[in-house]
Amino acid sequence: MNAIGTEPYIILSMVLFLMGALGVLMRRNAILLFMSVELMLNSANLALVAFAREWGQVNGHVFVFFVMTVAAAEVAIGLALIVNIFRERRSINIDDLRQMQG
Amino acid sequence: MEWLFLIVSIVAVVAAGMMLTRQNAVHSALFLIVNFACVAFLYLMLDAPFLAMVQVTVYTGAIMVLFLFVIMLLGAETTSDTSSNMRWLSFAGTAVAIILLLIFAFPIASNMFGDDAAAQPEAPAQIRVINAIPGGETEEFTVMEMGFAMPLAGNISGNVLLDALDEGAQDLRFDAVTYGATDMSQPYTSLAAGEYAAIAGVSDGVYASGPVYSQPLALAPGSAHTVFFFENAEGLLEVAQREDNLSAPSVGKMRFTLFNAVPDKQVTLVDIGQYSARGTLCDDSACNSLIPHRTLIDELPVGEQASLELDEGVYNLAIADQEQNVLRTLGSYDAERGVIETRILTREPGIPGSLPRYRAAVSDAVAVPAFGSPESLGQVLFIEYVLPVMLVGVLLLVALIGVIVLARPDALAQAERRRVNRRRRVNRPLVSVISQQTGSDVMQGEYLAKLTGGPDDSSAE
Repeated sequence: MNAIGTEPYIILSMVLFLMGALGVLMRRNAILLFMSVELMLNSANLALVAFAREWGQVNGHVFVFFVMTVAAAEVAIGLALIVNIFRERRSINIDDLRQMQG
Repeated sequence: MEWLFLIVSIVAVVAAGMMLTRQNAVHSALFLIVNFACVAFLYLMLDAPFLAMVQVTVYTGAIMVLFLFVIMLLGAETTSDTSSNMRWLSFAGTAVAIILLLIFAFPIASNMFGDDAAAQPEAPAQIRVINAIPGGETEEFTVMEMGFAMPLAGNISGNVLLDALDEGAQDLRFDAVTYGATDMSQPYTSLAAGEYAAIAGVSDGVYASGPVYSQPLALAPGSAHTVFFFENAEGLLEVAQREDNLSAPSVGKMRFTLFNAVPDKQVTLVDIGQYSARGTLCDDSACNSLIPHRTLIDELPVGEQASLELDEGVYNLAIADQEQNVLRTLGSYDAERGVIETRILTREPGIPGSLPRYRAAVSDAVAVPAFGSPESLGQVLFIEYVLPVMLVGVLLLVALIGVIVLARPDALAQAERRRVNRRRRVNRPLVSVISQQTGSDVMQGEYLAKLTGGPDDSSAE
């Protein structure tokens, strides 16, 4: 039924993952940084679903489900942190956050 | 299919690129939503409809709305992005990303464009053996073994097959079901899909007396087969092999399968259900005159099976002849939704020509849900992965509490107080210290006087 093999999905997921990684490296806006991390998580999920179909096992889908849940928790906490940082210093440029000599 | 994948993936990549390059964070978030929608579409193409829906609701719905909400709340749409000394990092990052992409993509691409398409492992087939021979006078059939040999080469003759078994080809033996127990349920055994030779013989270990049955058997991936042993009208052993339908029955229904192993009779299955509601079961003669029967299965020949989907409820089943006369009642039958069940009709053991009787109830496994469907995912989640599901629930609870703690109102008040304190502490001594050291007014005279409490105290020295 499916003419598409697993490999194109893996390549697409790799491209998306690297774009997300690039975003984390290049952008200094904390919110965009978070969005790039979400992009990376999503591309990993895509690879998991593709492999799940390849092997005919639903376990990959279960793992994607868990990743989504953890991502939701992570986003909630992260955005709360960003809001607090913005309240403190009126900026969410992560280059400004160097109290820890980062 | 290819062009669909191509379009969707290109849209996904372009949206990701736009997300990375927009200066306005709101535009970035909107492009990320497009990207997530594309990924959800790809999930659909990958036979994961449930995950596609979760992706749309959780990611593009909840999480991205949260992002947009925070961006709008902070008014941080166009936060200045890059300090100039970080510019080299983006070039380095791009270079590293491209190199990584080439390294990762090379083996996959070489495999993809190679001539051998990767063989996908097939779902196993399932098979079971049911002995529907009434015990008693046919002792020689009661104990048997069933063997499956693969691969099958050439024509079938008993000797060839036995040789193949002797040479140690894959041989899987089933112990026969001994007839007579009330619970006749027989589990399926998984076999790799492929061509098999099915051999049955009297159980003396090596089929020395020759097979009583040998047939080629093609097992398609994911299919389920049942091999029935039953007695024909001449009192001889007969074997029938039927494919079972294990897909889920329609919503609110069950699938009922009847196999006729009565040696010399066609059977018609009727429902005389009204009587069970009143709690009185008619005897065979009284039933005829009283009720219109609903024919469920009409004239099922020997060695055949018929399936139908029954609504949930209680049925009062009976065997009738061609003129709809009830020959024998079979008792009430409770149809539960979602169940797949096979029943076998045989005559009573030891009484040739006796009326058929419900002898065996073969409960099949639960219906196999389609791959990636909510049913399949739910079964795996709540059977195999109960503990991780609970842990993830705890994690979400902790995250919830964490967000409440982080965002509680007095956190803001404390931060505000700290900032005010810091400003006051720095401002006042700094002004007076500078003015003391330089000997000149740093600020306007009256203001300084107000701050330090006296006119030109420090500059007079």
